Amino acid sequence: MKSSKRLPSFRRLLIAGSLAAITLSAPAFAAKDVVLAVASTFTTLDPYDANDTLSMAVAKSFYQGLFSFDKDMRMINVLAEGYEPGTDGLTYTVKLRSGVKFHDGTTFDAAAVKANFDRVTNPDNKLKRYALFNRIDKTEVIDPQTVKFTLKEPFSPFINVLAHPSGVIISPAALQKYGKEIAFNPVGTGPFVFQEWKQTDYLKVKKFDGFWQQGLPKVDTLTWKPVTDNNTRATVMQTGEAQFAYPLPFEQAEKLKQSDKVEVIAGSSIVQRWLSMNTLQKPFDDVKVRQAVNYAINKEAVAKVAFAGYAVPAEGPVPPGVEYAQSFGVWPYDPAKAKQLLAEAGYPNGFETTLWSAYNHSTAQKVIEVAQQQLAQVGIKAQIQALEAGQRVERVESQPDPQKAPVRMYYIGWSSSTGEADWALRPLLASEAWPPGLLNTAYYKNELVDTNIAKALNTTDKAEKEKLYKAAQEQIWKDAPWVFLVTEKMLYARAKNLSGIYVMPDASYEYSEIDVK
Amino acid sequence: MLSYTLKRLLGLIPTLLIVAVLVFMFVHMLPGDPARLAAGPEADAATVELVRQDLGLDKPLHVQFVTFFANALRGEFGRSIRTKRPVSQEIAERFMPTLWLTLASMGWSVVFGMGIGIVSAVWRNRWPDRLGMTLAVSGISFPAFALGMLLMQIFSVQLGWLPSMGADSWKHYILPSITLGAAVAAVMARFTRSSFVEIMQEDFVRTARAKGVGEPTVVLKHCLRNAMIPVVTMMGLQFGFLLGGSIVVEVVFNWPGMGRLLIDAVDMRDYPIIQTEVLLFSLEFILINLVVDVLYAVINPTIRFK
Repeated sequence: MKSSKRLPSFRRLLIAGSLAAITLSAPAFAAKDVVLAVASTFTTLDPYDANDTLSMAVAKSFYQGLFSFDKDMRMINVLAEGYEPGTDGLTYTVKLRSGVKFHDGTTFDAAAVKANFDRVTNPDNKLKRYALFNRIDKTEVIDPQTVKFTLKEPFSPFINVLAHPSGVIISPAALQKYGKEIAFNPVGTGPFVFQEWKQTDYLKVKKFDGFWQQGLPKVDTLTWKPVTDNNTRATVMQTGEAQFAYPLPFEQAEKLKQSDKVEVIAGSSIVQRWLSMNTLQKPFDDVKVRQAVNYAINKEAVAKVAFAGYAVPAEGPVPPGVEYAQSFGVWPYDPAKAKQLLAEAGYPNGFETTLWSAYNHSTAQKVIEVAQQQLAQVGIKAQIQALEAGQRVERVESQPDPQKAPVRMYYIGWSSSTGEADWALRPLLASEAWPPGLLNTAYYKNELVDTNIAKALNTTDKAEKEKLYKAAQEQIWKDAPWVFLVTEKMLYARAKNLSGIYVMPDASYEYSEIDVK
Repeated sequence: MLSYTLKRLLGLIPTLLIVAVLVFMFVHMLPGDPARLAAGPEADAATVELVRQDLGLDKPLHVQFVTFFANALRGEFGRSIRTKRPVSQEIAERFMPTLWLTLASMGWSVVFGMGIGIVSAVWRNRWPDRLGMTLAVSGISFPAFALGMLLMQIFSVQLGWLPSMGADSWKHYILPSITLGAAVAAVMARFTRSSFVEIMQEDFVRTARAKGVGEPTVVLKHCLRNAMIPVVTMMGLQFGFLLGGSIVVEVVFNWPGMGRLLIDAVDMRDYPIIQTEVLLFSLEFILINLVVDVLYAVINPTIRFK
């Protein structure tokens, strides 16, 4: 009696454990519940009003688009069966899948597609993804299974835009019923039905029995749990409180690898990291200086020290994995050459500058510290500062006058959410994207790059696009408005008995085949 | 005493008004455009404008201030910029978990803190005192996040006894309340000890002993009551701080409370949330101070309020 009193929790645990083992071994009856630990709280469940990858990734539980990307960022048909571009590049006719129902029983058809795109292209609805879709002039129903998009101007990556995780089809009946409250009451065609969103704690979805893909989904419920602290996210994998965690702190990877319950995965990504240099200001207006800075920074070392090896040195302005990316090989590390170029440019003793980071997390701080040390080796004294989000917006993103913008060297990253070169170049390196418009923080302007980006938007001919983007990337590599640093890897953890969930190269998730053994 | 309490409650109103004005000004002085932040890095200038209109941030500052104020008087605090849910709802959902955690950690830390403090004072400069004060100094100097992670490593990862995140059952309260209460218990111990040491040298204690009152009665009846005044003050202050939601503990244990809400809000320049939370914190502090003042009279009936 006494001894059993002393160890109650331990005993109970044993009993609970063996019970769990029994239930797990009888899969026909066991409920399959999966808990997924993610990095921050979701801002909204309306993908058209979301700007964070996470909210859109989670919305894939209940929403699907016409097209989508698979786990390797290849475009696939989902609710569409195929498309036909018009010869003028202005129209796209999309064939829709038949026999698909929304969670509320509404039939998915061309009218549903039209309702969704009419909603986002109407500026009165003030949706955050307005800019992504505002090229659509009109959406027409040809017949219940065919829809025709007409654009205001030719835009060749249009299908990629439709495949963007925000381009989902919401039940038109639910849109009518809920209006703006649709963000709290999602109704889609996806594999899971929305069950409960406790904003403070979790989002829970359950299996949709009427899902159009036979045999899917294979689990009963998913619980998305925001766990903001990096170390806690790693801990809950070890304790078994979660079966999936992303992102993982690089420092925790080794420890987690030793756990026999957890698999640590380093997937490839299209998250590019670089330092932009303000080309409007001395000394960065001189291409020799910019090249010198590129020679001065050892990208291998940055990947090793700041990213604990979970990054690869960049081989071009656009990371591999993005359509039309070109590889030029890693920019060599050569401090002697850097010094020589600096001397040629009239700075034999280097110069002083500032290096800001767009983020203030520990990895970013390490990056700018490593860069600072390496710049010092060739005589460049950089004052570093990691900006907090509000400071970043004020000092960099909202600067009204390009000539007076205080940004000099700036550490930032990007992933092209359409998986295509246009969205990897235009917002970052086209002259139309100078802040406060978008994020060309190098204030880079090149005639050839601008025209090629614009021309590529107008042509649907893949070979032609390839040529245009190649020339643009060559020009950028030569002009070096950035220090091309690294392409990150996606580090995540998955319980060994969980399969079918992946972090995609753009940090979204793919989990249509998620299953528990 | 009733009229005193009423007067103090009326005095609340101007204080809260001043706090509201200050908070509004400070929040709007923070660098960074909330519309730009809410729109996200992929938005172009036109989208940022749409978002700005949507959030009502396009209106001049004084108009925004009047709206905020008029609404606040009616108990309306607007909608969160980040989630677009009513601020009152956002805060209400997080208030209880923070309150329960605060009560749990205050509960055990007051008991332990005062216990250690009394023992240390009674056996001053002997081994119980040394042990107690060593514990207290460690409690103050050990940072909460490190303690939290250490406890989690031992009890959740190694032993698997306790959960490491969330607030669903009583088990979830153990680790965070220990983490949160450690520093409070330490402060309480030191306060109780010094207050006690002073009281024990007073004349009335000597008198009590001289007339033959037993030592336990002297300590627990005569001394404790008199030593309570500074301790209660400290307790009130600590309670107020904890109610604000401990950012560190809530982040480490993924606690669905007010502290995490505040960081998220500051990160996104979520003006309505920041303003309302700070107002609420001020209100809590004022109320706690009032309760502390009233407690003085309960503890020591010679104290009279005018």
